[in-house]
Amino acid sequence: MGTETTLVSEAPCEITLENFLEFPEGRKVLSCIQCGLCAGTCPYGDVMDYPPRRIIAMLRAGMLEKVFHSESLLNCVACYACMAKCPRDIRLTEVLLPLVKEEIFVHLPEVPPELQKALQNTLRYGNPMGESPRKRVAWTKTTDVPIPILGEMSRPVDVLWFVECYTSYHPRGQDNSRALAKIFNGLGIDFAILGNEEKCAGECARLVGEAGLFGTLQDYTMTLFRRYEGRFNRIVTSGAHAYDAFRYQYPALGFDYQVDHTMPFLFQHLEQLKPMLSRKLNYRVTYHDACCLGRHNGFYEEPRALLTAIPGVKLVEMTHNRINSICCGGGGGGMWLDTYYKAKGYERLSERRVKEAVATGADVLAISCPYEVSRFEDAAKVLGYDNKLVVRDISELLAEAMQS
Amino acid sequence: MQEPSERGSRASRVGVFVCHCGTNIAGTVDVCRLVEYAGTLPGVALAREYKYMCSDPGQELIQQEIREHGLDRVVVAACSPCLHEKTFRTATAKGGLNAYHFQMVNIREHDSWVHEDKDAALEKAKDLVRAAVRRVRLHQALETKRASINPDVLVVGGGIAGIHAALTLANAGKHVYLVEREPTIGGHMAKFDKTFPTLDCAACILTPKMTAVKAHPNITLWTLSEVTRVEGYVGNYQVNVTRKPRYVLEDLCVGCLECIEACVYQQAKVLDEFNLGLGKRKPIYIPFPQAVPLLVVIDPETCIEFKSHKCKKTCVEICGERNAIDFEQQDRTETIEVGTIILGTGFKVFDARRIPYYGYGTYPNVYTSLELERLVNASGPTGGEVVLRDGRTPKSVGIIHCVGSRDAHTNRYCSRVCCMYSLKLAHLIKEKTEADVYNFYIDMRTPGKGFEEFYNRVAEEGLKLVRGKVADVYPEGNGDGRLVLQVEDTLLGMVRKVPVDMVVLSVGLEAQADAQEVRRMFNITCAGEGFFLERHPKLAPVNTFTDGIFLAGCCQSPKDIPDTVAQAGAAAAEALALIDAGSIEMEPNTAYVLEEVCSGCKTCIPMCPYSAISFLEDKKKAEINEVLCKGCGTCVAACPSGSIRQNLFEDEEIFEEIEGVLTYA
Ligand SMILES: Cc1cc2nc3c(=O)[nH]c(=O)nc-3n(C[C@H](O)[C@H](O)[C@H](O)COP(=O)(O)OP(=O)(O)OC[C@H]3O[C@@H](n4cnc5c(N)ncnc54)[C@H](O)[C@@H]3O)c2cc1C
Ligand code: SF4
Ligand code: SF4
Repeated sequence: MGTETTLVSEAPCEITLENFLEFPEGRKVLSCIQCGLCAGTCPYGDVMDYPPRRIIAMLRAGMLEKVFHSESLLNCVACYACMAKCPRDIRLTEVLLPLVKEEIFVHLPEVPPELQKALQNTLRYGNPMGESPRKRVAWTKTTDVPIPILGEMSRPVDVLWFVECYTSYHPRGQDNSRALAKIFNGLGIDFAILGNEEKCAGECARLVGEAGLFGTLQDYTMTLFRRYEGRFNRIVTSGAHAYDAFRYQYPALGFDYQVDHTMPFLFQHLEQLKPMLSRKLNYRVTYHDACCLGRHNGFYEEPRALLTAIPGVKLVEMTHNRINSICCGGGGGGMWLDTYYKAKGYERLSERRVKEAVATGADVLAISCPYEVSRFEDAAKVLGYDNKLVVRDISELLAEAMQS
Repeated sequence: MQEPSERGSRASRVGVFVCHCGTNIAGTVDVCRLVEYAGTLPGVALAREYKYMCSDPGQELIQQEIREHGLDRVVVAACSPCLHEKTFRTATAKGGLNAYHFQMVNIREHDSWVHEDKDAALEKAKDLVRAAVRRVRLHQALETKRASINPDVLVVGGGIAGIHAALTLANAGKHVYLVEREPTIGGHMAKFDKTFPTLDCAACILTPKMTAVKAHPNITLWTLSEVTRVEGYVGNYQVNVTRKPRYVLEDLCVGCLECIEACVYQQAKVLDEFNLGLGKRKPIYIPFPQAVPLLVVIDPETCIEFKSHKCKKTCVEICGERNAIDFEQQDRTETIEVGTIILGTGFKVFDARRIPYYGYGTYPNVYTSLELERLVNASGPTGGEVVLRDGRTPKSVGIIHCVGSRDAHTNRYCSRVCCMYSLKLAHLIKEKTEADVYNFYIDMRTPGKGFEEFYNRVAEEGLKLVRGKVADVYPEGNGDGRLVLQVEDTLLGMVRKVPVDMVVLSVGLEAQADAQEVRRMFNITCAGEGFFLERHPKLAPVNTFTDGIFLAGCCQSPKDIPDTVAQAGAAAAEALALIDAGSIEMEPNTAYVLEEVCSGCKTCIPMCPYSAISFLEDKKKAEINEVLCKGCGTCVAACPSGSIRQNLFEDEEIFEEIEGVLTYA
């Protein structure tokens, strides 16, 4: 009996590959039945030497070292496909793969320069593009509605809108933010943003195995939240990855705010939103399920309900939808590995996806994660579909349907 | 029953017997010191120890000491009462005392097996023995009652399990009511063409049994019927069976089937349930040619007469003088009395739509295994031709194993029969189409007589076996309906994309959708995965926790036909054992009402899980039926006026026991 209590107090608090089996999530790999579903469903399963199944086999045989010297997991785009389908419910994308990836990066002779740059930028400037932190709020000058900044206000607000990087800096991301501002305004949401103080929430750093960088960003953002303690009630973000980080990673540091991604958040306001959607949009729309939103958090129907609430919109489905959706290729660092993939001769996932979207006959590819807009627009251009298919965030479509 | 006032006197010649149980107890608890201590307790006349108290000499010792030392109560400190309470009660009775002048102390499961500190284990044993001694001194003489067993049996479900159990009992001369909710008996087996591992024709072996059921003088067969109420207890159940209208009178219909031909519907237009929607039937139909009973049935949902009352009723015309069709038929309820019940309600197949990435319901060329059983069946919708919905013969077929089995997102368990029936289907498809057949499996599970040999045989026929769980099924993209199966071939260590014309999903077996309702009605339990729970997984596999109710076939867990039949035979044998014993002993630990104290508040009545309490309107008092009472004590605790008491658990006895345990020696 005495031993039980000591076990608890001595339990390691951070999961690593060494102490992996001391955690229930870790012990689960022992139950792997080597069915290969993970490798079969992985969008890059055909090019990995060590897809998740083999990683587990190597781990169990005590030969994981070998995996560290391969580049396999550079192809893992953290899309949660393997984890969502694994019949033993092994926490692959959440736990095992980032740990192995971290080791792979340690052993990598050279980190692909594009990714290296993005990580350095994130560390230095708080955003992967290397934009000036002082220009993070620049977009707010281009909106029709005022965007209050929490630090400049004396009263508390209901919603802290965590804008995130691409939606602050990228021109098409800014379209999304402007649209959201319009919708928030229309709904009478009492919100504010962090302004230039905001930095990347860090999720992608974690999923490329950069636990250290993630920790730094996490500490920074937590300090910021603490500074504004009591000045806001909850957090809403259009960053699907930021949402994931807040929901799953930040609580370990004491984060206990209610957090919503904009899709479920707007879905909660659907009844209020509907009468405002008075402009008919005669679009044939197909929706790409963002990995974090769909497979990881189960928000499959909310984005679709928002789309079908728009008068005139006809929703059509791609072959791979919902749990079976194919990643845009941007997760887990994939956002900054396009050159590397190209050099290796791998198909770009965004192109695979755009081909499916075009096959539906849709003229709009609707999205809900800020990474996707640039990836899909680029893919459409490369494939010569840019006159056939436009890429729009659901927020943009909603704002367009609101008579101004 | 004793009045409380009589309960003051304490017996004073208690004998305490401590068992070593080899080293199970003695290895941890110092038995000699325990015996020494027991001898010092007030009221104890003698304390003894023995290596195995439950052995013949052990029991003999108890009897002998009772006689020689004039003991009036017995305490045995040994293992769990679940194992040997009965043994020692019998020994006590043989020694000349009332069997209930006995109390058992569990110093094995509750003490020696769970403690390492020997001193503390001894102290605990002392406490437990002291408590038992104090309690047993107040024990009253009780009598066991016997309940008679009605020899009639109810069998619910007319699959192969129910059919076999019913025939076994009927052949033994017992009357059986067989209740089936579909229009015909036969269950799933009636849908198959061939059965593994011998590939014998399902109809050839099943049909004779089905007709035997119909013809047997000892079997009352009620189809389109369901049990709607069960009351009573082992040996004496009262059951209501609701019989739904067939709209055809059973005793008048001769099974000529002319009415079907005559129906105003020239063409069969309604999706046919027996063929899982792969074929069509008319509103008046028989499920399949060998249906038992071979009586037509009218489906009120699609029959024009029911919708508009304006049908020409050509069926009635042709039936003519036989007058067998009756549109006015209503639900009827029959009440029967039986002594034992066998549940053989079977399974349902997993709904493949729950795994969206296999495309069932989205792509027409994805089928379930059960649908394939109909396609390969000579009396099925295609006359036994394996063809796609558009009539083409598939040139390649992919069979995916473990759909809805061994999967944390659906069912964790292995459905046991799918590997074997997948091999069977592969063989039959190859035989009929010469298609390339791929079996995608995780582990090939073929444990059973002749099963591995069957696997070997089918493999040599040229199966394409791929070890890997299919991850994705999607159309090839050129619009010809071909589907690509994406899978890691784990033995080759590479991801393959296999294009096929037809996909077959080997769906697992699940508990029936209404298993929970049925469970409640029969007052039995379901295990976590939804199947009915047997009393013991090894030693009582067909019994339930309710006496007189037995399980057979897939309602208990997925299994093949040989195991189902074996279990059905076992369930019948258990029922026969009860019937032939004629009566059953009842535990006397029942609750009773002290009438003069009862205020008639009725609090207890709804509390009783066994409906054993009724209200005497004339006296305005509650009364407990001793035979129904299981001695759970719920009402005893619930009664606000303390007027319910319980044999063997009298307040005084319990207080003595508590004080005994808490008095530090
Ligand atoms: C695709 C497939 C192929 C198979 N092939 C083979 C094979 O080749 N060889 C083999 O050995 N096994 C095979 N099996 C397994 C076989 O089907 C089962 O072992 C067998 O059917 C079990 O019989 P049962 O009587 O327990 O259940 P069922 O066949 O399911 O029969 C249960 C009966 O009870 C009735 N019922 C259910 N609930 C109630 C209720 N509440 N009231 C009244 N009636 C009720 C049902 O209508 C049904 O008639 C196969 C299974 C599948 C799915
Ligand atoms: S899907 Fe899960 S069980 Fe199957 S091989 Fe991969 S990790 Fe193992
Ligand atoms: S998370 Fe996605 S990309 Fe990474 S291994 Fe799993 S399926 Fe492949």
